[in-house]
This record gives sequence, structure tokens and C-alpha cells, in this order.
Amino acid sequence: MTGPFVRDPVDLHILDALQGDIPLVDRPYAVIASQVGIPEHELLERLTKLKEAGVLRGISPVLESRQMGLSAATLVALHVPEDNIRKVADIVSSCPEVSHNFRRDHYYTLWFTISAENDERVGQVLAGILDRAGVPAGDHLNLPTVKKLKIDVRFPFLPSHGKEV
Amino acid sequence: MDSLDIHLLRELEPGLPLVPEPFEEVGNRLGLTGAEVQERIRNLKSAGIVRKFTARINQRLAGISANALVAWNPADSPHRDIGHLLAAFPCVTHCYKRRPVPGRWEFSFYTVHHGRSRDAVCAEVKAIADQIDVNDYVVLFSTEEFKRVPNVRINENGGNL
Repeated sequence: MTGPFVRDPVDLHILDALQGDIPLVDRPYAVIASQVGIPEHELLERLTKLKEAGVLRGISPVLESRQMGLSAATLVALHVPEDNIRKVADIVSSCPEVSHNFRRDHYYTLWFTISAENDERVGQVLAGILDRAGVPAGDHLNLPTVKKLKIDVRFPFLPSHGKEV
Repeated sequence: MDSLDIHLLRELEPGLPLVPEPFEEVGNRLGLTGAEVQERIRNLKSAGIVRKFTARINQRLAGISANALVAWNPADSPHRDIGHLLAAFPCVTHCYKRRPVPGRWEFSFYTVHHGRSRDAVCAEVKAIADQIDVNDYVVLFSTEEFKRVPNVRINENGGNL
């Protein structure tokens, strides 16, 4: 979306309030609405609009990859010339084992993650991508995950929270 | 985890319904009460299968447009555990230790940062670098998002996980 960002302070407050765990009670939205200070029906209307606008992707369980059988992962960086990046990005994104695929401001232009049941499978997926994308061996970095130290995705949507390091 | 849990996680994957009693509605599709759905989610959480149950937000559309991966090389202080130092900063959303590529890419710790501007993110990263006393790092701003989905997706994998 190229349209305007969310600026409404109530919407920003809602986005901040949504970043904790959703309460496991019969009426969870009533709890969040009272934190924000609006009626439950207004919260639901605003959430529906935020979802339609693509801001809210969904409220869903985040599954622990290791518990779900994904024991190996890596971060890969590829050097892809400008005129080829979209084609290579499509090849990478089409793999179900790839969850994140970004273009970054660097000699290595394309950065993506692979998760699979074991190192061997991760290696196969990577080899397949390199083969299909025609990337020379020296033009990529394979950075396997040794240890996951933190995943805690929270964004300071209300500007007053934005200064903390 | 039983097959009903898998069905429940599949139903929840696209997102909790935006209705006053969302667990009741999901339960109706599976022959469970709302209370039973909540109880199953609680059990999946305590078993460590569900890490958290929260909103996924496209932060770019909410004004957080500068997003960076930062790669750190603690070569000048190899015996310090910079991973835990980095992870402790509230502004760091992800922190990983990774195997480097000797001779070509010596960075072994990776953090993710988000902000309203590149300047804000750079200032945040510089402040961290100063505090942990590591000066060899590279800030990799994302300029285009080709794919960003949860790394465990039951529906995309045919529900067979």
C-alpha cells in the first residue's frame, strides 16, 4: 500500500495494546477495549478496518518452530545484479521453507531465511535455489543459526514510546 | 498435541475472528465450547508449542518504515557473551548467533531494529555499539519486502505438521 500511514492516535493506541498476548477469556476484545478506553464494538469496527487496510495481518498463535519439527535454519545472502533481482526474489519466495525474503542496501542484495527439519534439508533447499537462480558459489553467504537468543517483536507505535534504546 | 489441537491451530492461523466471542465462534467449527478452545490454547502455551498469541502487524503501514538487520563482529572481545548483551536491549526484536564465513564474512551476531527513520535506527545502533564496546558492525536496511510470513505455517504445509 502506498497510501497514508496510520495516524489516528486511537488506532495507534490499539496497535500498541495488541502487542501483548490476547487474553484467553470469553470476550478478549472487551478487555483490550477497556485498556484503550473505547467500547468493545468500536474496537471491533476499528480492527476490521485495520485488517482491510492490511495493517493488521491477523491475531494468531505464533508456533515454536523447534516444537513443530523445524530444527534447522539459516540466513542466506545473495549478490544479485539489479536487473535480475525480481526474478531471483520470486524463485526464493516460492519455496515454502523460506519465511522472510528482503532486499537490502548492500553488495549482497537479497537476504532470506530457510527453516526445515534438519541441516541436510536446509542444504538441499539452498542448493536448489542457487541452482535455479544461477548464483555463482562465491556470490552468496550461508549463515546457519547457531543459537536463537531472542524473538520479541514489538513496535513502539505511539511516538512517546519511541526514544527508548 | 492431538489431532483436534492441529485442527484448532489451522483454524486460528488466518486470525482470530473479529467478533465479540471469538473463541466460541472458532469452537463452533470444531464442536468445542469457547472455554474448551481457551483451555487447549493454554495447554499448547504451557507445552511451549504456542510461543505467544498475538497480533501480526505490518509495521511499515503504521509509520515504522526503517527496518534493519545489523551484523556484529565481536572479534576484539571474543570471550564476552555479546549475544545476551544485545538481546537485553528492549529495542532489539530479534537476536541470533550465526556461523560466520571465515575470511569473507566474520559477523557472528545478528539483531533486528525498527524505527521511524534511518537516522533513528542508526542512532539506536550506535548507542548499543558504544555501550557494548563493539565497533565492527554493519547496518543492513531493508528496501523491499518480498516475503514475510510466520516460519511455521500449518495450512501452507497441508496441515500435516
